[in-house]
Amino acid sequence: MPIIELSNYTLAPAGSGQGINNFYFSLKKGDVCAIDTQNPDDARAFLRALASLVYPVRGIYRFKGKRKNLKAYRDMLPCKKKIGYIAPDASLISNLTLRQNILIYRYYSENDLSINVDDKIKTLCNTSRIADKLDHRPSELNKMEVQMAIVIREISKNPEILLLDRPEDFIGHANFDILVQLFKDWIDDAKPVVFLSYDRRLVRRFANRKILITNGDLTTVEVKWSNEHES
Amino acid sequence: MERVAGYIGRKAIDSICHILDLFAFTYRILTLAFSNPKEGRALVGRVIVQQLYFTAVQALPVIVPIALLVGSAIIIQFAQFSGQYDFGRISVLLIVREVGPIITAMMVILRSATAVTIEVSYMRVLHELDAIEMSGMDPIRIVCVPRMIGITAALLGLFIVFDLVSIMGGYAIVWLVTYIPMSGFLHQIAKAITISDITVGIVKAILFGMTITVTCLYRGFESKRQITEVPVATSRSAVECFLYCLFINVFISIIFYL
Repeated sequence: MPIIELSNYTLAPAGSGQGINNFYFSLKKGDVCAIDTQNPDDARAFLRALASLVYPVRGIYRFKGKRKNLKAYRDMLPCKKKIGYIAPDASLISNLTLRQNILIYRYYSENDLSINVDDKIKTLCNTSRIADKLDHRPSELNKMEVQMAIVIREISKNPEILLLDRPEDFIGHANFDILVQLFKDWIDDAKPVVFLSYDRRLVRRFANRKILITNGDLTTVEVKWSNEHES
Repeated sequence: MERVAGYIGRKAIDSICHILDLFAFTYRILTLAFSNPKEGRALVGRVIVQQLYFTAVQALPVIVPIALLVGSAIIIQFAQFSGQYDFGRISVLLIVREVGPIITAMMVILRSATAVTIEVSYMRVLHELDAIEMSGMDPIRIVCVPRMIGITAALLGLFIVFDLVSIMGGYAIVWLVTYIPMSGFLHQIAKAITISDITVGIVKAILFGMTITVTCLYRGFESKRQITEVPVATSRSAVECFLYCLFINVFISIIFYL
């Protein structure tokens, strides 16, 4: 059963995009989908649609087989918390410290403000060199540190699906190894991933489906990269 | 002529729709405030304490001198005007029933309501509200409920502080720096304050607090694309808050005293 299924979906144009007309898309466990498009605004609109952050012009959104009414935003909250959304329009809450931002999901769900980051997240913070800035607010950090904190926050949610918009820019080319490791972990856990990337290495190494968005149409194709391609 | 009538009609419909939206928004916040599920209670509690600190405790250095100035000015004017006859009673009428609630509400609007509109508007523009939703939390519960409880409780507290400081402090200032005879002033006040005055004060504080919070949160939550829309929303919310508080003040006075 698909985790997310969009049927007869139409997205209005956003930014310089053309919108996407009347498409069908389903995302199952183990899918690693790379978006291929000339227009990143269309790709971003598609990712936001998967995250249920934009309303379609028309269409049906199903989460784990259940039809969802996107306008009943409170019914969507349990679905949203299962989606890790890592994109330039994702942000940290500015009046909370980095630690509070990373832990906010746990503060809420465990109803305890005394909890601290676990070992896995601590290791990630150390690797990405933000461990000593956990008590700073987002405005005191540089862009790369903020973006890395967003990645860590989304991972700490332990999401079932990951949506990434140009992760190589987001995590930083210097941290490419971290990104590769994260992808490996997600694939090992059979978590579906949808990502837009201009880094061919990432696409060829991990993607098993390609989402083509051209002139307002969306099609998906299964891909099998040959060794030739990988080299 | 038709165009003018059409314009007035459209504006009237817009205003009615806006008021209905505010009521619906209030209903949503109150439902969440009263349901208060266990999940997230600690987080909501912390934001309430922070809001109380910002709105009540940090406002004290501003509200106390204003209360002293207003209280002493009113007491001086009425002591001379009334020739000492019932001037304690008149002071109570003015300070406790009318001036106190309005000035306190104005202080809260200027200090906290505008700040809340700006904060929430920025959260909207910078997609922070989306981030809250993506964590599975309801922004109305995390952002609105604690602010409504915090601001309403703070307003009630500030209202009591304003009344006490303006009457007692005003009395002390007048007694210290003027030669106006003040015999029997406090006794007159004690006799003049009735249960209905206290009830009206509490009702006004609660209604003002809720109105101010809902109006500024509503303006903050309105969809925005650019930072330049934030000042517009802020000035709108401040003006609307003040206007609604004046209406409520008159409405309650009519109900209780006429």
